[in-house]
Amino acid sequence: SIPTSAVSDADAEQLQKEQHARSVLRERFLRCVLSMTNKNVRFHMHERVKVEATFGASDIDVLNFQVSDLHTPIGVQKEALIRSQDVISFTFDI
Amino acid sequence: MQCRWPLLGPLRWITYVNKHVKVKAGKDEVLWGWLLTVDPVSASLVLMDFKEDGGASVQVVMGHAVEEVQIQQEADEETTDRLQASFLPPKTCGLDP
Repeated sequence: SIPTSAVSDADAEQLQKEQHARSVLRERFLRCVLSMTNKNVRFHMHERVKVEATFGASDIDVLNFQVSDLHTPIGVQKEALIRSQDVISFTFDI
Repeated sequence: MQCRWPLLGPLRWITYVNKHVKVKAGKDEVLWGWLLTVDPVSASLVLMDFKEDGGASVQVVMGHAVEEVQIQQEADEETTDRLQASFLPPKTCGLDP
């Protein structure tokens, strides 16, 4: 199998700890993404560009965000994909 | 930080959970908040800031943009509970045994 960790196979206990930490962190993140659905999200992008949109979904490896009603400086885009590489941070309220 | 943030790994990231952190991201963005979690896939941080009316604002900082993370403060029990309960559906607990 493909090693997914920096921890060597020899240290099974350490690997288990790492996998446990990974699952706790990932579950919390997925619940957070889930709660963003249909919320107004403000994206901070490179060159101080700030745009707002209604959040739809993220792909599993967090490479793209699907959004609706993206307010750009040149108008509103009904549906859009935002590449996560272009984003520095994003904010929403709960 | 000795090592770039996305390379730290789950066992290091989890030590930042429930801490108030200052994050430098991109060229000139500085953000503060309680660290809820770090996505182990993208190394993105989820920061929370609680408001007085009971609501909260959530900031997600993309892992690739993180330059530096500094711990400012540890959470007290109330803040820890509030953080942990933030995104859990009612009457359901985490998968963690």
